[in-house]
Amino acid sequence: MYVFEKKKPWQKRDSGLTARIVVSFLVLTILYLVFMTVLVYIGLDFISIAAIASIMILLQWYFSDKIVLWSTGAKVVTKEQFPELHELVERIVARNGLPKPRIAVVNSRMPNAFATGKSPKSSIVAVTTGLMEELETEELEGVVAHELAHIKNRDVLVLTLASLFSTVAWYLMRFGFYGGGYGGRNRNSAGGVVLVMIVAIVTWFVSFLIIRAISRYREFVADRDGALMTGKPTKLANALLKISGTMKRIPTQDLRQVEGMNAFFIIPALSGDSFSSLFSTHPPVQQRVQKLMEMEAAMS
Amino acid sequence: MPKSDSDILFSISSAHITMETKLGLKVSGRCAVTFKTMSGSVFYEMEQDLRRFMDTLRPEFDLAFRAVTDQYGYLWVILEGSRIEDLLAGLTAASGIVEEKGFSDQLLAAVFEFRSERKSGGHSYLIYNFKRNNFYPFVPLDQKSRDTEEEMKIMSAVGEEIPFERDMGLWYPMWDLPLRSLV
Repeated sequence: MYVFEKKKPWQKRDSGLTARIVVSFLVLTILYLVFMTVLVYIGLDFISIAAIASIMILLQWYFSDKIVLWSTGAKVVTKEQFPELHELVERIVARNGLPKPRIAVVNSRMPNAFATGKSPKSSIVAVTTGLMEELETEELEGVVAHELAHIKNRDVLVLTLASLFSTVAWYLMRFGFYGGGYGGRNRNSAGGVVLVMIVAIVTWFVSFLIIRAISRYREFVADRDGALMTGKPTKLANALLKISGTMKRIPTQDLRQVEGMNAFFIIPALSGDSFSSLFSTHPPVQQRVQKLMEMEAAMS
Repeated sequence: MPKSDSDILFSISSAHITMETKLGLKVSGRCAVTFKTMSGSVFYEMEQDLRRFMDTLRPEFDLAFRAVTDQYGYLWVILEGSRIEDLLAGLTAASGIVEEKGFSDQLLAAVFEFRSERKSGGHSYLIYNFKRNNFYPFVPLDQKSRDTEEEMKIMSAVGEEIPFERDMGLWYPMWDLPLRSLV
């Protein structure tokens, strides 16, 4: 804990970890797209642009864990600093024959966790101090196992490849239009540009949705595999309910006391649910809990 | 067309089998319907009607029945019987009388009691909320705490089978249920 004691200013920064990671990579992607566009504009040929693009993608891949650590403020911690956390991770990896990842801690009161890394051996599992405070040991085990499942399933690679394909698709399409456009440039250049814009946006949007869908699917898989590692699906379900704040929403006040307060006339905003779920990287907590409970029922 | 309260209440007649096979929760043979009492002669008449009607049900359906008023001013019609169909018939008949006399706004909840085959002593409940037309689980541990884990299991077992409250923020407990003081 000592490591973080001096860093009072960003203790207050409680904005979501995922948001910070997404913003960092989004900024990088925009920079990257701008740079590529400039290269196209100055008239570099396809081969050299493809070469530069792949070098940049490789670099981003190579430094991905550093970017994640940097954008979240996660610090890799030693066994001396966090002995219990290290032992907890060691228990799970030993039981499941996995390599032990490096362990990082984020000093944030928001309960959260993530995994990053290019290969199972070089990966990092990070948890926030809030997560360790709020969860009981078995629940924390569930969350760590979920992250270890992401590593085992190489989800970082899967998602990077998925986004890579969308980038490549984007460029192929742009080159296709430019390549074919030279001859007829004077005829309908304005219409051509609009068409390129529309197709580009559609391509981007579709790949965006596909990546989100893959990501949600990988979450379910990681829930399942993580629960298999610990053998306790309900503990992960409990942890999810605590992290999402759902647990706190289950009331303790008696129905007969609240009855007069018209509590039941508040219609939950269900209509927006299916729409927003298309865009989210994680499936709704209730759905994940439901699946974990079904697992528990099948196991017992 | 929206389903009536009694249609939804009757969905328990199949869901209780799922509760038993999946979770080892058996119908305890007790259930209840509760509504807020009012002053006034019309309400009083309805209450008398209800009591008379329940008395006539007794020999026909093999049901024991009792009425209790709790500290919140709610009248509980508590039924005890060995067959779930009889319990449901009695329950819908009782709530039907309350609705018929124009007091449907007073109806709060119907409660079904289950006892665990796996754990001794503990009771689990399915609460039907008349205002929301759906069920939610309630598993009290002691005076003021509940077994959320067990409640989740109930949701996963019967959540698709019967109209279920998806918003856990509306799973209001009912402490000190008067069901058990029967006997």
